[in-house]
Amino acid sequence: MTPLSYAAAALPVRPDLPAAHERAWTRLAAPGAWWTGAERVSIAAECRNAWRCAVCRERKASLSPYAVSGVHADLGALPEPAVDAIHRITTDPGRVSRAWFERTLQAGLDEGAYVELVGVVVTVVSVDSFCRGLGVPPHPLPEPLAGPPSRYRPAAARPGEAWVAMLPAGRPPGAEADLWGPGIPNVARALSLVPDEVRTLKDLTRAHYLEPEQVVDPRNRRGALDRMQMELLAGRVSALRECFY
Amino acid sequence: MLHGETLLALADAMVGDDADALARVRDGASPKLGPVAFVDAVAVVSNFERMVRIADATGIPLDGRLELMTQDLRQELGLERFGAAANTPQPGLGRRAAGRVLRPLARGALRVVGRVSRR
Repeated sequence: MTPLSYAAAALPVRPDLPAAHERAWTRLAAPGAWWTGAERVSIAAECRNAWRCAVCRERKASLSPYAVSGVHADLGALPEPAVDAIHRITTDPGRVSRAWFERTLQAGLDEGAYVELVGVVVTVVSVDSFCRGLGVPPHPLPEPLAGPPSRYRPAAARPGEAWVAMLPAGRPPGAEADLWGPGIPNVARALSLVPDEVRTLKDLTRAHYLEPEQVVDPRNRRGALDRMQMELLAGRVSALRECFY
Repeated sequence: MLHGETLLALADAMVGDDADALARVRDGASPKLGPVAFVDAVAVVSNFERMVRIADATGIPLDGRLELMTQDLRQELGLERFGAAANTPQPGLGRRAAGRVLRPLARGALRVVGRVSRR
């Protein structure tokens, strides 16, 4: 894979950011737990395509996104429930509902495949948003790596706390022991049905913001902004995206 | 807050879909914040473009202590109008009572948090 670079940016970018983005792109290209590398890259491409979808624009403008019917303008590489999930999570995340999530699984998307899809979408949205903020073009998507998905589901994952099953709070057992320590917020556990997506999340979060375990202590900060400035930005994005959490 | 308006304008432009508006905000914000802080701010905004989608797409509830401490504040800010508020169960009598007891402490704690989170 060609190394990711921000040499085209007008401002210097600290090296841990392109390094984290490059690791995310490497993982994006590789087979996951429920999708092949080619499918994961297709999810990434569909995520970018969603911003150009007329149905998504109409839904975003409507009082209820579920009042607008229509077919997404998709790239044709993924099943319809996956396309719908990618488009809605990308363009109107604050208005996805539990009923919609349950319909999505009933339509044939496995719960683990859904969680991994969310992990891929949020990785691409975040890295693309960083590029857009800096005024540089988005990075080319990686060439997919061959191989089957692992079908790995952590034995300790339990349903009930959220729409998706998650590992319980507290230090995870066995192969997931590296995922988190004490003080982990729910949002960092949310993708734990697919542990590698938590690893990607933590790697990116460490470069962009803070270690997830550091978030609860307001004295923690990184870079040139103070913590209040960081939280002002976080709160504004959450409000604009209508995120209750 | 130092550069508060500039940071808000940057977040608004990055979440918005007007490329020209974003370019204008970028041109104004970068000299005000300085190059290092500007890149840090872009990194934080793009981080939360990830986190809000994870929270909303997986239906996680608020973390327990946060839920308890912020019952009033959420009402005051009108956050219950967001669809994802349904993912956090309504508190029972016991938690509501605990929330009322903790209300003054939570306000004080927020002030302390505000002080220590500034450099």
